[in-house]
Amino acid sequence: MTRLWWRGLLRRRRGRLAGAVIGTATAVALLAALGMFLATSKASMTARAASGVGVDWQVQVAQGADPAQVAAAVAAEPGTIATQVVGFAATTGLSATTGGTTQTTGPGVVVGLPAGYAATFPAELRTLTGDGTGVLLAQQTAANLHAGAGDTVSIGLAGQSPVDVTVAGVVDLPQADSFFQTVGAPAGSGPTAPPDNVILLPADQFAAATAGLASTRPDLVTAQVHAARSHALPADPAAAYVAASGAAHHMDVTLAGAGQVGDNLGATLDAARSDALYAQALFLFLGTPGAVLAGLLTATLTATGATRRRRDQALLRSRGASTRALTRLAAVEAGAVAVGGGLVGLALAAVVGRIAFGAWGFGASALTWLAWTATALGVGALVAALTVLVPARRDATRTVAAGRRSVGREPRPWWLRWWLDLWLLAGAGVVLWLTRGDTYHLVLAPEGVSQLSVSYWVFAGPALLWLGSGLLTWRLADALLTRGRPVVAAAARPFAGPMADTVAASLSRQRRPVARAVVLLALALSFAASTATFNATYRQQAEVDAQLTNGGDVTVTEPPGSTVTADAAAQLAAVPGVRAAEPLLHRYAYVGSDLQDLYGVQPGSIGTAVHLQDSWFQGGSAPQLMSDLAASPDNILVSAETVKDFQLHPGDTLKLRLPDANGSLVTVPFVYAGVATEFPTAPKDSFLVANADYVAAQTHNPAVGAFLLDTGGVNQAQVADAVRATVGTGPQVTAVASTRAVIGSSLTAVDLAGLTRVELAFAVALAVAAGGLVLALALAERRRTFALASAQGASPRQLRAMVGAEAGFVAVIGGLAGAVSGWALSLMLVRVLTGVFDPPPDHLAVPWPYLATTAGITAAAILAATAGFAAWVAGRPVISEIKEL
Amino acid sequence: MTALVSLEGIARTYRSGATAVVAVRPLTATVTAGDRIAITGPSGSGKSTLLHLMAGLERPSAGGVAWPGLRTAGRVPGPGEVGLVFQGPSLLPPLTAAENVALPLVIAGVALAAARARAEQAMVEVGVADIAGQLPEELSGGQAQRVAIARVVAARPRLVLADEPTGQLDHATGAHVLDVLLAAADAIDAAVVLTTHDPAVADRLTSRWTMRDGRCHLPDRPAEGRDGTDQGAVVGAGRTAASKEDLA
Repeated sequence: MTRLWWRGLLRRRRGRLAGAVIGTATAVALLAALGMFLATSKASMTARAASGVGVDWQVQVAQGADPAQVAAAVAAEPGTIATQVVGFAATTGLSATTGGTTQTTGPGVVVGLPAGYAATFPAELRTLTGDGTGVLLAQQTAANLHAGAGDTVSIGLAGQSPVDVTVAGVVDLPQADSFFQTVGAPAGSGPTAPPDNVILLPADQFAAATAGLASTRPDLVTAQVHAARSHALPADPAAAYVAASGAAHHMDVTLAGAGQVGDNLGATLDAARSDALYAQALFLFLGTPGAVLAGLLTATLTATGATRRRRDQALLRSRGASTRALTRLAAVEAGAVAVGGGLVGLALAAVVGRIAFGAWGFGASALTWLAWTATALGVGALVAALTVLVPARRDATRTVAAGRRSVGREPRPWWLRWWLDLWLLAGAGVVLWLTRGDTYHLVLAPEGVSQLSVSYWVFAGPALLWLGSGLLTWRLADALLTRGRPVVAAAARPFAGPMADTVAASLSRQRRPVARAVVLLALALSFAASTATFNATYRQQAEVDAQLTNGGDVTVTEPPGSTVTADAAAQLAAVPGVRAAEPLLHRYAYVGSDLQDLYGVQPGSIGTAVHLQDSWFQGGSAPQLMSDLAASPDNILVSAETVKDFQLHPGDTLKLRLPDANGSLVTVPFVYAGVATEFPTAPKDSFLVANADYVAAQTHNPAVGAFLLDTGGVNQAQVADAVRATVGTGPQVTAVASTRAVIGSSLTAVDLAGLTRVELAFAVALAVAAGGLVLALALAERRRTFALASAQGASPRQLRAMVGAEAGFVAVIGGLAGAVSGWALSLMLVRVLTGVFDPPPDHLAVPWPYLATTAGITAAAILAATAGFAAWVAGRPVISEIKEL
Repeated sequence: MTALVSLEGIARTYRSGATAVVAVRPLTATVTAGDRIAITGPSGSGKSTLLHLMAGLERPSAGGVAWPGLRTAGRVPGPGEVGLVFQGPSLLPPLTAAENVALPLVIAGVALAAARARAEQAMVEVGVADIAGQLPEELSGGQAQRVAIARVVAARPRLVLADEPTGQLDHATGAHVLDVLLAAADAIDAAVVLTTHDPAVADRLTSRWTMRDGRCHLPDRPAEGRDGTDQGAVVGAGRTAASKEDLA
């Protein structure tokens, strides 16, 4: 009997089988494609994170130990590629006499670099002036001392005579935080700030200069062995972290107290593990709804054939088939759907993965490949079982008479009676409430702790909201089709004429399949809208991050000591492709004893080159604070930390010490007017924003630190080249595109581009399926109704009205509900995944073109399904339909 | 008498690939007002197909069908002109019995309130007023057929075509349904053509067309016309049947 049934299915129920296979394949393909995203993301995260590390190991040589021996031991450790011994000595201060004045700094650090250090660790030094050899001054120190190449700097050493050296160049230390870290600092002591004043000497010069100090105060002269390690690490950041940190621990044991490893590689991979978990969370948050939706669609597709299946089963049972036999037949069908859907889905995912992520499989290891393949096939089997086997099994236990029914007075679902939809929405509200404030972190990565934690519970927020809004949509559709029937009839009257009440009555009696179609459309649109909005917001914030780091589309950073004034902006604005050029003053200002970056802006015009976001400020919107800054030039915006540290209140006077044109510090009074949390080119910690004209006037120094150029967001690289040709080699010209690549290795490294393409394509497909296919199948399943109406004299126009009314109801209610729940879901996703964003967004980025396209394609699918079905019904001989069904 | 349906050499052949099944062989006949015709014959003899051709639900493969005494809409009888009763369930599943009865009127453009009133009246006449609010799937076979008859009564068609109206009912229920149908037809003065393989049902009508293998044998002297078609006419007056020759 099984073979006979199976042949019958293939001959007479091909559509039903194909629908179930396609639905299952969609679920499998979506999950598998997202699995590829996860696997490739994790693989690239390790490589990208490791490539950004300047020095993999900084081994602190213990007092009394021989650096050469420690270096030899480190070099002998498997995986070590190169070692260099670097000396550190404390200086009581640096001084330089330039331009007739003498500048003196506070305490700092003298670094002794061996020859070839810059070549071995290229990420540590960035040469600003000179050729990178000889005595080098850190950029900030050079600014403090007003010193440059050729100037003499006197190095103060405790209990020793100052040592004079001649500066050969100025360098930037991009990784100063790790370079000057306190190796072996107790856990929880927090990171130490890099020194304000740094001078770098060749190793032999360093040895000569600090020999006396080393003998009198050996505690002030230390050595580190810097090591470059092999980056041939496991693709998964978590596994790479375990391998890297294990090697570091082994090194510590081998050194037996002669040295202690500062594991920069391990620390970076530790952070990359967070990125991996964020990727995992994104997979969960953005991918699961799609897979669930595909499952629901499959269930709906198979449910549209439920009436026929029940009748088939009823016939079999009336001829003696047992429940067990019926279940076996359904299991055969479910098995075929699972295998077919699984294989088609995997093949589809492979193609999608190749196009979107450039990968055919799931990461590097065979185990990962097997695990993902098994998971995807398992999900396919689950979908097939839930959508084919379970309903068939349920129907097999119903009476034969009940099985022959297609429409009846079924009781209201239990969840409607128990208000489950509202409970779910309330639950989502609770989750949202719990994620407020600063105490919530999606991914918690305590420093130095190998175990990371992800707050997976917040996944309940969007999940509850999505399900709750779906059920609420059902409730509203149900209510509209029962108590609101007159409204539906009135809405249908312009199209259905005198048939409007009959159409409304028909819809009301079929409200379960109609409501199901409405809910599916709403959920699909909601998924598409929320995913697209989240991804667009993510892209927006990544762009903002790049803009914040770079300053403008193109930024021209003047070298230390430059005297270029704001007037140069006109020359830059004339470069082809530049829409606006905005000067930005940059000074170091003392707030008490704390040295902070101060940015001087022209508040009236800064907005022409940079879009200042409201979320970057507190105490007012960006335009409002800029307006205040223009009206009251002595206003100043400070960091929240400064407000807290100095107990500032709006209107308080804040006296800063700023260098004048000669480098002498002058006291300038400001009025505290608000808080700035982010600002273009500003560091993430404390900084100040003030009126440029006021700063220039008070310090008699109009020198500009940088120019921010607006290119309209296009052709940044070309414009940067043109600007370089204009300004010469002195200033540094950077384009936001290159900055985007650099910051791509930070926390926001999870590359959503491929994921976005996959998800948005699936979202459109699901919306079209939910709108067009489900409607078409639902209508087709009721073609007997239309055939009978036709037999009673209904004209093709009246038939179109009947079909169109249902399609219109589904499209309008489903579309509205989808839009509302999509908007709410977008807000929820951005809130609970806030850790993914850096900086947090102050508004959602709504991708209107995509949403309009999705809505248009879905509407077109509904229209095509409706028109096609109406034409088909009108064109087919009525009696053949009545006979056939 | 007014000719309601005129069949001119109509034939119906179903084709499936190379296979052709002749359901109705060429036939010329007329149905006039007041007729009570039973089309009898074994299963598969073409009874239902002939009825569907008369109703305009199927198009003939050859010949032509016309409804000279009925209003037409295009090439089929206009709304409400022909009342149809099918062998199986013919009620629209999502509509209640009362809504089903009112449906042909609504389709014909009768105002909703008036359609409801006429439907209510028809259901009272047919004796199914007590199940007006039931859905078709909540009805027994006999109830459903009586509702279908009430639908015919409400529409007051000139011609009632019933395809095995008692075919799925037990004898007693079938007899009752037939009583209701014929009484209703008398009440609205409609011609009745029904198909049946039950001689007892056929005996209740005044004229009998017999079908076998698609060929229709008309009452008295079925004759083959000059063009090779079965020819005949049924005259309604006096509920008698006459051959083509009688008419000639």
